Amino acid sequence: MITFAIFFFFAAVAVIFAAVVVLHRNPVVGALSLVASFFALAVMYVLLEAPFLAALQVIVYAGAIMVLFLFVIMLLNLQHQEEPRTRPVQQFLGYTSSAAFGLALIYYLAKFGVTKLPDGPFVSDARTVGIRMFEAYIFPFEMVSILLLAAIVGALILSGRTGAIPPPTGENKL
Amino acid sequence: MIPTHWFLILSAILFTLGVCGVLTRKNGITIFMCIELMVNAVNLTFVAYARQYHQIHGLLFVFFVMAIAAAEAAVGLAIFISLFHHRHTIDVDEANLMRW
Repeated sequence: MITFAIFFFFAAVAVIFAAVVVLHRNPVVGALSLVASFFALAVMYVLLEAPFLAALQVIVYAGAIMVLFLFVIMLLNLQHQEEPRTRPVQQFLGYTSSAAFGLALIYYLAKFGVTKLPDGPFVSDARTVGIRMFEAYIFPFEMVSILLLAAIVGALILSGRTGAIPPPTGENKL
Repeated sequence: MIPTHWFLILSAILFTLGVCGVLTRKNGITIFMCIELMVNAVNLTFVAYARQYHQIHGLLFVFFVMAIAAAEAAVGLAIFISLFHHRHTIDVDEANLMRW
């Protein structure tokens, strides 16, 4: 069946590019791989009958947020610098604990997961989402607008050069 | 129709990769990208359960999570720019003023 083929292909794409983000030492390669992973997740949203969220995923995540990441990487001139090695004990503890966490999560999901889908189509176009948003969630919506305003002000204050910056001492190490 | 728990298992794998990156990397921006990966895995879980139970509230939560992730990315990257101006590195091991 073609749907299953699409699911497995884009699931593999999402997992492989996410692994590249985790393993690659160069942040530019990591950011571009994360964009590819987000595109694969947008395909997952289309398979889950939520095309409006797929469009939002491409526009907001792959468009806006990842461009912000790439801008900061270029601004700080990090694309040629290699990250120093993590200590072996930290690597060992990180890999084993996250592998144990992931195995436990997948075990319980496979054991207790629901398998029967309900009948009928799931209507989740932009019109339905918008009506429900402005009926039931108008107060959180306004709160999010205030939060975004606060984030703009905070980002401007934090990233502006205030006070005397000492001259760089030695070479730019990462 | 693809069963819901396949999407949940994919989401669990992506979340685990994000946890692994946060625990093992030292570059601050890479750690931040791994956090975004975890946020996206949780979004996939929300959408999968929204289809499973025919509830549109899950999609609205994904909307709010996206807005908050945008705010978090803006403030976090501003913090890293400020850290780079002061210490000339974004290695999180160097930001150890409050370390016990």
